[in-house]
Amino acid sequence: MTPEEPAPSEQMAVVLTENADDKLLPFATLVSGAVAMGLQVDVFVSYWGLVAFRKDGATTPASVSPGHGAEGARLEAALRKPKAPSWRTILEMAKSLGELHIWACSQSMDVLGLKKEDLDPMVDGVTGVGTFVDRTRTANVSYFI
Amino acid sequence: MSAAEGTEKGGAAPRMIVDARGSWCPGPLMELVRVIKEEPVGTEFELLSSDEGSRKDVPSWLQKAGHALLEVQNESGYDRYVIRKTH
Repeated sequence: MTPEEPAPSEQMAVVLTENADDKLLPFATLVSGAVAMGLQVDVFVSYWGLVAFRKDGATTPASVSPGHGAEGARLEAALRKPKAPSWRTILEMAKSLGELHIWACSQSMDVLGLKKEDLDPMVDGVTGVGTFVDRTRTANVSYFI
Repeated sequence: MSAAEGTEKGGAAPRMIVDARGSWCPGPLMELVRVIKEEPVGTEFELLSSDEGSRKDVPSWLQKAGHALLEVQNESGYDRYVIRKTH
């Protein structure tokens, strides 16, 4: 698997820039639903998204994005319960089920001082935006999260 | 993943129970896609799901994938989907 492989017939492109669990859970749900429906999914992870995919991210308690007041606090508490859904588990299952490729943005890696080995093994490689755009230029649907 | 699997004799063909109750959307659909990939043509499945999203997701995936939805039963707190892998 290299980033330059030809485009598949049905593909979803997703750019992930966030690392709060109230963004990561909808992201993982969307991606896994697409994989289950038979689409190839290519994800470009940049900036705070890379923080979520750092190896040490697996031990970080769930968090929600700011600005949601008491509702946000309630959701955060709910997401820290043992039976709460885990975006990481959802993504791992999607990877085992179909075509899900996760690419780390090389610019963000440089700015954040990260190396490939700092990231979760779910990340397939580090690419520039040009390669990602080329890989997904004929995608049927695309999202920015 | 809380899904558990087992088999039981249901008429002629053995049925595989895919218990995805308590699994969040799209967990039950993903469990179904996985077992259909793994099991031979003709296998019947009973998918148990408490996720409301499954009510639309499961039939639409089956239609797209071309497998048969034989029956849907609304049980207390969950639904039972009887499915056959047709190809």
